[in-house]
Amino acid sequence: MRTMLMHRTLENRGFQLNRQGKIPFASASEGHEAVQAGAAMAFERGKDLLVPYYRDLGLALGIGLTPYEVLLSLFARAADHSAGRQFPHHYASRRLGLYTISSVIAAQTSHAAGAAYALKLRKQTGRAVLTTFGDGATSEGEWHESVNFAAVHRLPLALLCENNEWAISTPLSLQMAQPDIYKRAPGYGIPGVVVDGFDPIAVYAAVREAMERARRGGGPTLIEAKCYRFLAHTTDDDDRTYRTREEVELRRRDDPVPKFERLLLEQGVLNAQEMEQLKAAVLAETNEATDRAEAMPYPRPQGLHEELHGRDGGPWV
Amino acid sequence: MAKVEPTFRAALDRHGLSDDQLKAIYRTMLAQRQLDNRGFQLNRQGKVPFALGSEGHEALQAGAAMAFERGKDILAPYYRDLGLAIGIGLTPYEIMLSIFARVADHNGGRQFPNHYSSKAAGLMSFSSILAAHIPHAVGAAYALKYRKEIGRAVLVTFGDGTTSEGEWHESMNFAAVHRLPIVFLCENNLWAISTPLSLQMGQPDIYKRAEGYGMPGEQFDGFDPLVTYAAVKRAMDRARSGGGPTLLEGVCYRFLAHSTDDNDMTYRTRDEVTEHRKDDPVPRFERVLIEAGIITAEDAEAMKKDVLSETNGATDRAEAMPYPESSELYTHLHEGAWQPWL
Repeated sequence: MRTMLMHRTLENRGFQLNRQGKIPFASASEGHEAVQAGAAMAFERGKDLLVPYYRDLGLALGIGLTPYEVLLSLFARAADHSAGRQFPHHYASRRLGLYTISSVIAAQTSHAAGAAYALKLRKQTGRAVLTTFGDGATSEGEWHESVNFAAVHRLPLALLCENNEWAISTPLSLQMAQPDIYKRAPGYGIPGVVVDGFDPIAVYAAVREAMERARRGGGPTLIEAKCYRFLAHTTDDDDRTYRTREEVELRRRDDPVPKFERLLLEQGVLNAQEMEQLKAAVLAETNEATDRAEAMPYPRPQGLHEELHGRDGGPWV
Repeated sequence: MAKVEPTFRAALDRHGLSDDQLKAIYRTMLAQRQLDNRGFQLNRQGKVPFALGSEGHEALQAGAAMAFERGKDILAPYYRDLGLAIGIGLTPYEIMLSIFARVADHNGGRQFPNHYSSKAAGLMSFSSILAAHIPHAVGAAYALKYRKEIGRAVLVTFGDGTTSEGEWHESMNFAAVHRLPIVFLCENNLWAISTPLSLQMGQPDIYKRAEGYGMPGEQFDGFDPLVTYAAVKRAMDRARSGGGPTLLEGVCYRFLAHSTDDNDMTYRTRDEVTEHRKDDPVPRFERVLIEAGIITAEDAEAMKKDVLSETNGATDRAEAMPYPESSELYTHLHEGAWQPWL
């Protein structure tokens, strides 16, 4: 719940800071909170590797990235892990096993298959790679080549599609001729499962099963979590030009954040007062991280050629 | 892969084909086998630099070619499609001009051997790059749809290895989304040069990928020209009538090395090849036709002689033709008056 709340708060903070003219860009992941918080819970920090895409704020938070680290990325400050040189929301953390994010659609699936291949070649059983992508990425050639390669070599890889029905402005109906991405799995000879991406517990169960299969040498799995993108693609996109407000409002009724909140209250996991405290704590932490990150210096132009390679030169995995 | 049962039958299921069409299929198969071997012989004699082996693909290609409507349909083949080229009307002489790289070749002797093209036959120029021709074919099908040319379709062929390429995937998906008039025919010969199917994909049935794209998929015995014809005909008719694309998988085998520059004994056993040879589609179809009374054993012998003599004549005639002049390097690159190819 906390990851989902933090995800939503930080996400909106990115848009606010952009509209205030303080940061150049933010990408949006509202509607992906349940998928990402659920999947992150199935990730074993210190063992697994995460190769995400640019809409994975909640996954990054869920595996341990702090709001301060996220805001350093948004503000592009020198203290950011990529020294302020990556796109906003393109984090990386060797400490967390979080690969640097590629903006190029589907490029990360090849990176992920490569990392999984390395784990297999080194016989590092008990470790697995989790890679994520949107529905649009599944139309890319690299995606196909990566899934096929992972299947042939039975690599320790979980492929999680966050199907939000929109690839920027392309609806799923123009993305593929049948609406179920998981149905591509049998063609590769790997298991394919579909889950409600608005239900963090269902996502957790599906991703955990896939990661456990991968960790014990059972090969890759394709998971499709069906969710929805509530905001525009990014701060540079106006989604009113390609979809109706009615469509978005209709989907908002299933908003996974209040839905999960209600569930926890009903189940007595949290009471209303604890929920309010949680929200207040998340807001306070976001505010504090915003101020702290904003106060940090930009990278120096002289540092342009520094920190391009790891100091020890060793492999990343 | 599902074990495909041989299709010998007392009463021949001819799928609506006339005696003449059945004989034409057999003749195409004989001509392919003969010309295929001629390419290898000429290479070993030092007369041509390179040839590609398509032995084992005869039934698939002759059957598929019979479902192609010349003058209407477009063929975007790959480099192992000698029989398809012959089946849709290329002459042995045109094939030999390609292999000998002579100036009279449609490409002016500047393409790879076994890479024909013929605007008259609707045969697109080949790409050697695996799967590069799939977007070309899909583009052609998109043009047909865009221009509302109902009744025309594109037939594109490829091997099993090509299905692992990103271009293949992107093309399949695009064709499915836009319901393009195209048939994807995979000639699955179990070997992508030296890569066996088991290292090519995580499950052995290529046609099973069709469902993921939202199009029909079908697998059939690629050693049987008649079931091949029937499957390709159904798919082409669906495409021509606006029903969208189909993925077909004909399971066959590559009897020869990948090309004259390949030694397959480094990666597969003779026993494996010998085992598959027992199902050789050329003598098998000959038996089918004889048992069904379409031809006699004497007819078969006469056809073989005729094919050999035509191949010999074409070889001598093509070999006697001149090479292209170096001064012609920049000619024939574009049509005089630019117009679309289709």
